Amino acid sequence: MRKYISEFLKGIIRENPTFVLALGLCPTLAVSVTVSNGIGMGIAATAVLLGSNVIIALIKDMIPDKIRIPCYIVVIATFVTITELLMKAYSPALNRALGIYVPLIVVNCIVLGRAEAYACKNSVVNSFFDGLGMGVGFTLALILISAIREFFGSGKILGLTLIKGFEPAFVMAMPPGALLVIGLLLGFFNVIKGRKA
Amino acid sequence: MSAAQLLTIFISAVFIYNVILSRFLGLCSFIAISKETRPALAMSLAVMFVTTMSSIITWLIYRFLLIPFGLEYLRTISFILVIATFVQLVEMVIRKISPALYRFFGIYLPLITVNCAVLGVAVLNSDMFFLKGKALAGSFYYSTFQGVCVGLGYTLAMLLMSGIRERLDYCDVPKAVKEFPLAFIIAAIMSMSFMGFNGFKF
Amino acid sequence: MKNNLIVSVSPHLHKGESVRMIMWMVVLSLVPAGAAGVFFFGMDALWLMALGVLSAVATEAVLQKAAGRKISILDGSAVITGLLLAFNLPPKAPFWIPIVGSVFAVAIGKQIFGGLGQNIFNPALVGRVFLMASWPKYMTAFTRPMSYDAVTSATPLAMLKGGGYLAHTSYLDLFLGKRGGCIGEVSAAALLVGALFLLMRGYIFWQIPVIYVLTVGVFTCIFGPQGYFSGDWLFHILSGGLILGAFFMATDYVTSPLTRKGQVLFGVGCGVLTSVIRLWGGYPEGVSYAILMMNAATPIIDRYTKNRVYGSLKLKVKS
Repeated sequence: MRKYISEFLKGIIRENPTFVLALGLCPTLAVSVTVSNGIGMGIAATAVLLGSNVIIALIKDMIPDKIRIPCYIVVIATFVTITELLMKAYSPALNRALGIYVPLIVVNCIVLGRAEAYACKNSVVNSFFDGLGMGVGFTLALILISAIREFFGSGKILGLTLIKGFEPAFVMAMPPGALLVIGLLLGFFNVIKGRKA
Repeated sequence: MSAAQLLTIFISAVFIYNVILSRFLGLCSFIAISKETRPALAMSLAVMFVTTMSSIITWLIYRFLLIPFGLEYLRTISFILVIATFVQLVEMVIRKISPALYRFFGIYLPLITVNCAVLGVAVLNSDMFFLKGKALAGSFYYSTFQGVCVGLGYTLAMLLMSGIRERLDYCDVPKAVKEFPLAFIIAAIMSMSFMGFNGFKF
Repeated sequence: MKNNLIVSVSPHLHKGESVRMIMWMVVLSLVPAGAAGVFFFGMDALWLMALGVLSAVATEAVLQKAAGRKISILDGSAVITGLLLAFNLPPKAPFWIPIVGSVFAVAIGKQIFGGLGQNIFNPALVGRVFLMASWPKYMTAFTRPMSYDAVTSATPLAMLKGGGYLAHTSYLDLFLGKRGGCIGEVSAAALLVGALFLLMRGYIFWQIPVIYVLTVGVFTCIFGPQGYFSGDWLFHILSGGLILGAFFMATDYVTSPLTRKGQVLFGVGCGVLTSVIRLWGGYPEGVSYAILMMNAATPIIDRYTKNRVYGSLKLKVKS
């Protein structure tokens, strides 16, 4: 049980996919405009990650090495399509908000990266917890970035105004704001890492 | 097929909604490979070739296979399979024709498969140039052209960024922001300056 | 490191003036434009300039102290950044605009690259486009010059974009500065006085600004509203932030190309981009964006316009 918990936890801080492994940046920056979008994308990506990690760990011995990447992609794409369809049916507003970034979960480096680096070499249960940890880590990173962007860009978080009379900086809700926030956050984490060492 | 529409696609794809600086597609390779100009240019040309060809192939598949059989929901899977296959083909052809070029590209070539820009533009084409399952007028040409322009936009961003980062190599940058953080901040400033093209109307 | 900041291609000739001296001379050359701003827009303008300069200097001092580097605020470069940023603001901008803008300009436009000489982009412009993208409402609230009440009016360029008729703003008004606009950009006359001073002392070179302005003139003349060659080029040259941008921001050594060939390219590029944005883009003015885009292109321009190193020979290898 201990092992499972540590597999889960490593995805949150030590090997956080966004801030440490620098994977899956495309959707991170694109959807982190509001916290609700961030959470939505995080959950969707986690679902795909769980599904693909488990299945790939299950069938890893049946896949010939030469065509393993296309095989992984088929598995991942299947789960993405399922998630996309479920989203279209049960939360169309979120689907509209996330736009083309839902199908793009297929090429989200996190999903393929974990399949290649972990699921093909580990047991099903371990892969499950790894996927869960990475997904949660990704979601937390999304929440952090979108909280900053939503607050500075529109003065609200989750649609609630926090400070009255605050003039939001619109650029934060736009692409440059996303790039800026992640650049500064990465620099900030570097400073912390440097201090600890 | 109007010149104004083509110009709009060009300005949009290259400047206003630049695939990297505005749509965030292809960021991973952008941050990783823009350190030096020569690999950056090589990658850009390869990406442009793949985006153009896959725009064509995915359009044909969408128009003549998926829509007639009501299989639009298989868009994601079929597109990515097409792209993966195509990149594999390109890899094999380059290996045969010019081993030196193949070695030059190294691992960057297979990485194009997961370059968000390639799948992104294919999905974008099917969203922009199809309405309720019918192809809009000139859809094929616009889609192909958009594929080319997205490649051009990628190339522009890569070229500028690699020049900047090469120059910063000679500078005494603060340790905390060296490499990635600074790359993002540069991209942020570039993205802000490209906003100057907003609202473009020819 | 600081003494080697005048980067140029070999062969090198020294004039004996330090970076600090040049910076303060630039500040001096901006005084006429600042005075014109105060003349046309009152104490608001002075207040904005003071806030801009103080915030810029304070930010630089704090950041350099925190990074353990030598505090170099006395070299005048932060003063220039703060002043230029203020020049790009409308007179009725709230007090926190120059503060936030200067902090951003110095922190993100300059210090994060490692300080003076290492920034890629013009810091004042980085601050300005940040402000423009964040608080467009406050960055475009222009007033008519020399009026005691805040009578809102559009700038000449904005009126042109909106299709308005500009009968009441003569070329002389545009030249002297009697028009709506940002506090440091309105008076072409005052700006040119300062620019002339810098040119005569050799602190800036004529190529970039002249080619930039010329390109804008030619482009806007050719692509006029009533068919080719019907454009009002004189109006375009005298309006907006062109004179300010061309002579004081595009000429920044650090962010523009080293070689003459590169500088010509830079000037033309700025000119074309500015004109394209003015004529067909959504914004009425494109100077800031054009210069920043060309700043980004400068390293690449430098790379491909490098002169042959003096005295070297091209070796031909027989393969």
